[in-house]
Amino acid sequence: MVAKGATLKGALEREKGVNHHLLRQKKLQKEAAKKKRSKKEAEIDVGALEDAVSGAEVAKAQKAAKAADEEVAADAAEKVNGEGEGWETDEEDDEEEVGGVSIGDLDDESDSDSDDEPFDNEAADEDDIPLSDIESLASEDKGDIIPHQRLTINNTAALQKAYKSFALPSSLPFSHNQTITSAEPVQIADVEDDLNRELSFYKQSLDAVKEARAKLKKEGVPFTRPSDYFAEMVKTEEQMGKVKAKLVDEAARKKASADARRQRDLKKFGKAVQVAKLQERDRTKRETMDKINSLKRKRQGGADLNDKEDNFDVALEDAAETERKDRADRKAKGAAAGAQRKRQKKDEKYGFGGKKKHAKSNDARSAGDMSGFSVKKMKGKGGAAKRPGKSQRAKKF
Amino acid sequence: MAAVYKSLNKGSKEGAGRAGDAEKPKNRQRVLILSSRGVTMRHRHLLNDLHSLLPHSRKDAKLDTKTQLSQLNELADLYNCNNVLFFEARKGKDLYIWLSKPPNGPTIKMHCQNVHTTEELNFTGNCLKGSRPILSFDASFDKQAHTRVMKELLTHTFGVPPGSRKVKPFTDHVMGFTLADGKVWIRCYQISETEAAKHPKPTADETTPADPTSLPSITGRPGETSISLVEIGPRLVLTPIVILEGSFGGPVIYENKEFVSPNQIRSDLRRAKAGRYNERTEGTLERKNRHRDLGLRTGEGVKQVDPLDNRVVFA
Repeated sequence: MVAKGATLKGALEREKGVNHHLLRQKKLQKEAAKKKRSKKEAEIDVGALEDAVSGAEVAKAQKAAKAADEEVAADAAEKVNGEGEGWETDEEDDEEEVGGVSIGDLDDESDSDSDDEPFDNEAADEDDIPLSDIESLASEDKGDIIPHQRLTINNTAALQKAYKSFALPSSLPFSHNQTITSAEPVQIADVEDDLNRELSFYKQSLDAVKEARAKLKKEGVPFTRPSDYFAEMVKTEEQMGKVKAKLVDEAARKKASADARRQRDLKKFGKAVQVAKLQERDRTKRETMDKINSLKRKRQGGADLNDKEDNFDVALEDAAETERKDRADRKAKGAAAGAQRKRQKKDEKYGFGGKKKHAKSNDARSAGDMSGFSVKKMKGKGGAAKRPGKSQRAKKF
Repeated sequence: MAAVYKSLNKGSKEGAGRAGDAEKPKNRQRVLILSSRGVTMRHRHLLNDLHSLLPHSRKDAKLDTKTQLSQLNELADLYNCNNVLFFEARKGKDLYIWLSKPPNGPTIKMHCQNVHTTEELNFTGNCLKGSRPILSFDASFDKQAHTRVMKELLTHTFGVPPGSRKVKPFTDHVMGFTLADGKVWIRCYQISETEAAKHPKPTADETTPADPTSLPSITGRPGETSISLVEIGPRLVLTPIVILEGSFGGPVIYENKEFVSPNQIRSDLRRAKAGRYNERTEGTLERKNRHRDLGLRTGEGVKQVDPLDNRVVFA
């Protein structure tokens, strides 16, 4: 019944256009200030404390739903607690400072929460259907509810209770959970912008690693893996091989495409270059041919011989003249050369040139030549001593 | 005599040690990882990736039911797990991830989008299987009550406690959780340390895994090696939908108003398409009627008869 009443009231107020948040906030502030005063004066009244706690939580819930309000200038629900706005109970403050979860605190917290739950629900979801109605919805498929029928549920008290019920104690040394929270929230202007988004993720992690390394060093926990420590990796060798192959492929593809582009560019200029080269070759050829032709003409035509400018012809004429002079000189010297005479004599004796065959055979003149014949020699008297006979010769030796 | 003294001494020491242990807070986590039936290949691979990154996790067979999720509490109890990471697949395409602390909650249900598994990302990063990650959280996690709960649940699930069974020493990867656009973006990077050339001596003794006793002497010199990160994968984005007070049950303590279910999006798209068709058919019908009224259609509607028409004149 209470829940239904709350919804009706909420609807009515919406109709009227009452700035509910503002009113409530003001009321709470007044209430809390009063409470604080009374607390300072006298002992803490348990009932009042509970009210204050729930009131603070209501404010937090509103805070979470509405991002900014002038009255409560802090961003976080956390900060709302810690801020010296004047409507905060000391007990809550202490808890937040510790930040951890000690069992004593937890018990107290759960008690108070269970006590003031109905009021809390009523207040926190003042513009929505209360929790009890939503629980029936919760059993259905949440994913299939159309958004405009969706109701904001943000039961901060219950969330904090849940958080405290299972959170790790803050006294845990860093090496036990290795959790780093960045100093300031990561701001991403546009989540669709892949590059900048990933960059900010990277920066966040990098900062965390630097901080964590220092902390782990301080606690004496080994951080860096030595190079000779081998163990099973998350990605297998074949997976890494695939990655490498992919990288290599990509590099090759890039190189090939760059080459192709260069070739295309060359082809564009190449034609012009080739034409220029051919023209150059033709020109030089024509020039040399012209030179040769003019030379030929000069050699053939007599008219051109008198041309003293041509060095080539002058040189030829000089050579002929000098040779003629040389020959005349040698004639003048003539027989003076002894070697020349000896050769002549030898040639006369042994012959030089002419027919060698039948040179020593008789001819008519040599056969009629009797100059070498003597009768005396032929008759044997008074001639040369006779050769003794065989027996005589044998006796002698 | 000596033996007696020794045993006495030992006993007293042990007792003291135990007392110290009892006082000392511990981080004991064990995660049960499982999926429902009807997951796609990509979801399955994502599950495997997460399992390989979390040495304190226990993978189980697919859960048969999608309605009685409280069975998971019993299952977790069976495997001595105090965390559950449950992949709920719907319609063979949508993935919802449940994070829960089994005996008494809380539970968070998130919609998982933009899933890229390690295998398909082809990043060059790699890390030891079973090394403990550094968890890096965005500061905006601490601003609201529900994000704090979310952060704590993520810490419990993805943070590897020091004493777990298959854990390896050294820290060589970092997991980043960032709140952007009301969603949690999860990334995983390898920490690659390159020795700075300027200070060869400090880097030499840093690379050696110095034993705990000698280490405090070399602290206070940050930046001996320059750190860079190489992404490993996987990538995923989680949109919180609902937080329950209990484990897979209990009252709803937070619900995200901004979340639009993928079914809704799809049906809107379909409706928009259907609307186009309806408009077109209505248009043609209207045109036909107009033409009929003008007498432009043969054999239909009223036709203006000329008073000088042959049939009228010679009737």
